[in-house]
Amino acid sequence: MIIANCKLKIDPVLKFLNLFLKNLGRNKVRTTLTALAVIVLVVIYTFAATVTDTINRFFDSHSSQSRLMVREKWLIPSCFPIRYVPKIASVSGVEDWTVWHFYGVFFDDAGHAGAGIATRIDNLREMHPGLENLDPALIDAMKRERTGVLMGQRLMEQMNWRVGQRFSVNSFTHPGKNLQFKIVGVLGADAWSRNFFFRQDYYREGVGDMDDVNIVWLRVSDVETGKRVAADVEHLFQTSRAKLRAETESAGVSRVASRTKTVINIINFVVAILLIDMVIVLANSISMTVRERRVEMAILKILGFQPSFILVMVIGEAVAVGAGGGLLGAGLAYAFTWLNSAGQLPFRIDFLVEFPVPAKFILHGFVVGALVGFAGSVIPALGTRKVRVAEAFSDAG
Amino acid sequence: MSEPIIFVDDLHKVYRTGSVLVRALRGIDFEMAAGEFVSLMGPSGSGKSTLLNLIAGLDKPTSGRVTIGGQVISDMDEATVARWRSAHVGFVFQFYHLIPVLTAYENVELPLLLFNMSAAQRRQQVLTVLELVSLSHRLTHRPGQLSGGEQQRVGIARALVTDPMLIVADEPTGDLDTHTSDEILDLMQAVHESLEKTILLVTHDPRAAGRAQRRVQMDSGRLSVETEALQIDNCKLQIEN
Ligand SMILES: Nc1ncnc2c1ncn2[C@@H]1O[C@H](COP(=O)(O)OP(=O)(O)O)[C@@H](O)[C@H]1O
Ligand SMILES: [Mg+2]
Repeated sequence: MIIANCKLKIDPVLKFLNLFLKNLGRNKVRTTLTALAVIVLVVIYTFAATVTDTINRFFDSHSSQSRLMVREKWLIPSCFPIRYVPKIASVSGVEDWTVWHFYGVFFDDAGHAGAGIATRIDNLREMHPGLENLDPALIDAMKRERTGVLMGQRLMEQMNWRVGQRFSVNSFTHPGKNLQFKIVGVLGADAWSRNFFFRQDYYREGVGDMDDVNIVWLRVSDVETGKRVAADVEHLFQTSRAKLRAETESAGVSRVASRTKTVINIINFVVAILLIDMVIVLANSISMTVRERRVEMAILKILGFQPSFILVMVIGEAVAVGAGGGLLGAGLAYAFTWLNSAGQLPFRIDFLVEFPVPAKFILHGFVVGALVGFAGSVIPALGTRKVRVAEAFSDAG
Repeated sequence: MSEPIIFVDDLHKVYRTGSVLVRALRGIDFEMAAGEFVSLMGPSGSGKSTLLNLIAGLDKPTSGRVTIGGQVISDMDEATVARWRSAHVGFVFQFYHLIPVLTAYENVELPLLLFNMSAAQRRQQVLTVLELVSLSHRLTHRPGQLSGGEQQRVGIARALVTDPMLIVADEPTGDLDTHTSDEILDLMQAVHESLEKTILLVTHDPRAAGRAQRRVQMDSGRLSVETEALQIDNCKLQIEN
């Protein structure tokens, strides 16, 4: 017999892949069930994480403490005399200010509607969260075009309009006061997607509303200043006909937030328990596999395989099942919410439309699955170090 | 016959289970020459498997030493002895102990995965030994699809595939019927004669022991009589009567 020059070298490479894959296929029912359990867990995890993530992002973007909203105390929608504005703006601590005039419209007879906001164009970017990165060229263009509008993305898509196009509207907030506009630009992806902004001067003259304003926004340097400015503004108009209410943007948000955060904490807690549960289920499944294969592991040791190889093999199998199940589970959750939003399913779950799973969560699912696999297999895998080679002979006479 | 390559010096092995001490080996002195075929016989519990395990580097003696090819096996640490084992010893078991999810081919290839060989080199080696045990037509069968005799041939092929200097076999025919046993023993004898392997065969079947050049008898952890090859025929007669 010809024997090649056998140099000993253990390098974990592709040649072990076959052994590894065949071991995974060893108990197909058990491997499938375990993977299924991971899939279900990761689907739940992905939905929970999406909800948590969406809500947290919402609060983060609205938690800037440096903006104050000033409105009429009782009226809905708020409306008060525009002559108050210079007084409000001159309260000490106010760094910048803008106004809002609401202008609700139908674009066509089919009922496509939009919420127009007439405001100061010069500081549009500074005063509106989400518009910080708007192209300054669009601001200049708006300054040149009296009838110009900046349209929300969704409205543009819905109406199938192009920049440069002119259109006229049918106002339901100001019946008979129908303006014509020219589209100057489109607002960035998420922010203000159902709104359109246009010039305050065009609104006031076009609609003939010279006396009132709906909302005034103030910018202040910090939370403490914000509280004082709010008190000063309210105090200033205490005895006037229209009483005002000033509050930091986040005051309103944080009332909702504190309650919502409790719900989020509960969700996170339940998901954490599910993860721990999954680790236990997996540990049990891996222990069973290890127990059944003790003699085989003894044989591998006799043939010269190192204990660390067997350890890595057991952990590797669990991580592979976990990561595979995680990838599949997150992928399913991702596909499901997008098909659901796109109306491609035979049914539609409305609530989920608000919570589309981001693509990055597919990677999260993969990692969570792999980690669960790892956590569930470490202890059973360490147990294989106790496998003694004598176990291969224990049945021998 | 060549020079002795296996030296066993005053070997003792005490097992401890709880507070009970079992003296499995009580001072064994033993030698084997390169290319020698020795059978180890004795009643159940006499220490045969224990001796075989110590010679093959699977366990450590309580005292005494095992020297093979100039290397003191009994002093090596676990990782070193594992590497030594995979290069120099081939194992054949009573219950074949093949990996059930691997094919015959893959089972034989398994020990070669620990060597730095190309896939082509491995393939050639595996096909050579499977040819040798007349199983070239069963490459893709899994153990469950093979008869006991065929499984043991795969086991022997796996033991041979690394071209070890020593083959140890613990009751390799213990689970086979007489006819199949004879075939396996024929094969082992052929391996010994054509490949000049050193073989240590543990058995309590005198017919199996009779295939060896030298028979060693064990009793209560000690070697009792060494029986010379000449007596084999008597033994056969006794069985047949
Ligand atoms: N791992 C072990 N732990 C404790 N006792 C053992 C172990 N292996 C063998 N023995 C004991 O050592 C003695 C010799 O066993 P063994 O070498 O297997 O005998 P044989 O192979 O000749 O039947 C027996 O009494 C057996 O019970
Ligand atoms: Mg035995």
